[in-house]
Amino acid sequence: MAETTTAAAKPRKPLPRPAPESVPFWEAAKNHRLELPRCNVCGKFWFPPSRSCPHCLAADFSWTPISGRGTVYSFVVFHRVYHPAYEGEVPYVVALIALEEGPRMLSNVVGTPPDEVRCDMPVKVAFDDVADGVALPKFTPA
Amino acid sequence: MSSVLEHAAASAGSDVRDRCAVVGVGHSRLGKVPGVSSLDLSIEAMKNAIADSGVPLSDIDGIICRGPDDSYTHHQRIGERLGINARFSTTMDNGGASQIMSIILATFVIRAGMAKTVLCGFGRDAWSRTHATEEARVRNETRPESQRPREFGPEYGYFGAVAAHAFGAQRHMALYGTTREHFAEIAVAFREHALRNPDAMMKKPMTVEDYFAARMIVSPFGMFDCSLRSDGAGAVIVTSAERARDLRQPPVLIKGFGTHTNARGWFADDNMVNTAAGPSGQMAYRMAGLGPKDVDTAQIYDCFTYMVLTQLEDYGFCEKGEGGGFVSSGALRMDGSLPTNTSGGQLSECHAEGMLQICEGVRQLRHTYPKERQVKDAEIALISGHGGNQVCHSTLILGRA
Repeated sequence: MAETTTAAAKPRKPLPRPAPESVPFWEAAKNHRLELPRCNVCGKFWFPPSRSCPHCLAADFSWTPISGRGTVYSFVVFHRVYHPAYEGEVPYVVALIALEEGPRMLSNVVGTPPDEVRCDMPVKVAFDDVADGVALPKFTPA
Repeated sequence: MSSVLEHAAASAGSDVRDRCAVVGVGHSRLGKVPGVSSLDLSIEAMKNAIADSGVPLSDIDGIICRGPDDSYTHHQRIGERLGINARFSTTMDNGGASQIMSIILATFVIRAGMAKTVLCGFGRDAWSRTHATEEARVRNETRPESQRPREFGPEYGYFGAVAAHAFGAQRHMALYGTTREHFAEIAVAFREHALRNPDAMMKKPMTVEDYFAARMIVSPFGMFDCSLRSDGAGAVIVTSAERARDLRQPPVLIKGFGTHTNARGWFADDNMVNTAAGPSGQMAYRMAGLGPKDVDTAQIYDCFTYMVLTQLEDYGFCEKGEGGGFVSSGALRMDGSLPTNTSGGQLSECHAEGMLQICEGVRQLRHTYPKERQVKDAEIALISGHGGNQVCHSTLILGRA
């Protein structure tokens, strides 16, 4: 899943390079399912993935499907191109999504002009198949 | 804060308050200094600080510093180039919070009798790394590849510190009605201060119109919300208050300090609008036996305009959510109620990750500036440091002896 470029081709957007503990998240996303680790002891969800619950430190957890609903905690609009693959893509929205289940997740808000995005607006997940075997959970107004 | 920590801070106050002093300050050439490494910028600043203090080089027996993020045992390079061994020597690792933490550690080392005179400093060559050559212009990233995120960021086009801090600004605007006009006042005030400082990188006046005409970077931040990419270094010499009395400069006492790290993350809880400056400041006030009303000048870590606004609230100079009105009153100006970043700060003087703001706090308390740069009757200065993925914070309170 590493970023690949050739001299002649347009640079590609970075793809996730998962840490070992994140692999199940990206496997589920590939199949358009949003799953988070959920503690089998205290019942809470967490993100980003790790091998023990940051709420109670139990190591007993299950990858659990979530609703895909949440709100925009905060967001920014990129005007500057930081990576050559984003030439022609600005302005675009990067948002911190407060998921209904508790954790927050960085993503994009798509399907709406950037100037209509607001803090606390309701959103729902929409998967974007960005490469063979890679889908990113993004969010649209709910 | 728990009662155990309150007790620790209070008892530390009696043991640390007014026991050590800053007796030398210095800085390197600032701005665009091509062909000089960050190490040599640090050496330049340190030699100036040593000369300023009048302390013989052979008396320096401690080195606490920080190098670029990709350096290893940077303090050894400092000792090598200054030709000194040290009884205590180490490198710090908390981004922009490190520089005040160096002074905190120096105080502990001196109080423990491990060293008598400690050299602290930091330098960076951020302008040269990103602009000086064509290759560097394309690279445009000061962090080494190994430290950049691999997932949950870059795949969404999320890059850099501007965006991270812009998230906080946006949330603050939504919660409290803060506007870009408030951010503009911060940028314009600090530029006006820089024009009084002959060493500052930025020499051109800036108006609110200039602020709004500048290109957007990551909204709500435009170009003038962002600190400078600059080359520059600063350094200070710390020793016991007793020894400071016999030295060349008017001693500036270390009255209190504090730290806090919101290690759960910038994106967790409400950390982006209630920053670690809050508890860090409380710890420092308690140790110093002072409060925000006692502070005559503030040197606030201004990586971005918004960070000044939220820290002013977190430090209690105004209520949470009222930072916009506070800055709009003209409080930060030289003739305002809290002259802030009086050398121009990282937005307009030079960005050496808080090191130059420590130097400026010390200089204001010496009362040796020409009238147009001097905060009238300044007795107490509060200085902040912030960094390490936005969550490490340090606070230093200095006082005129």
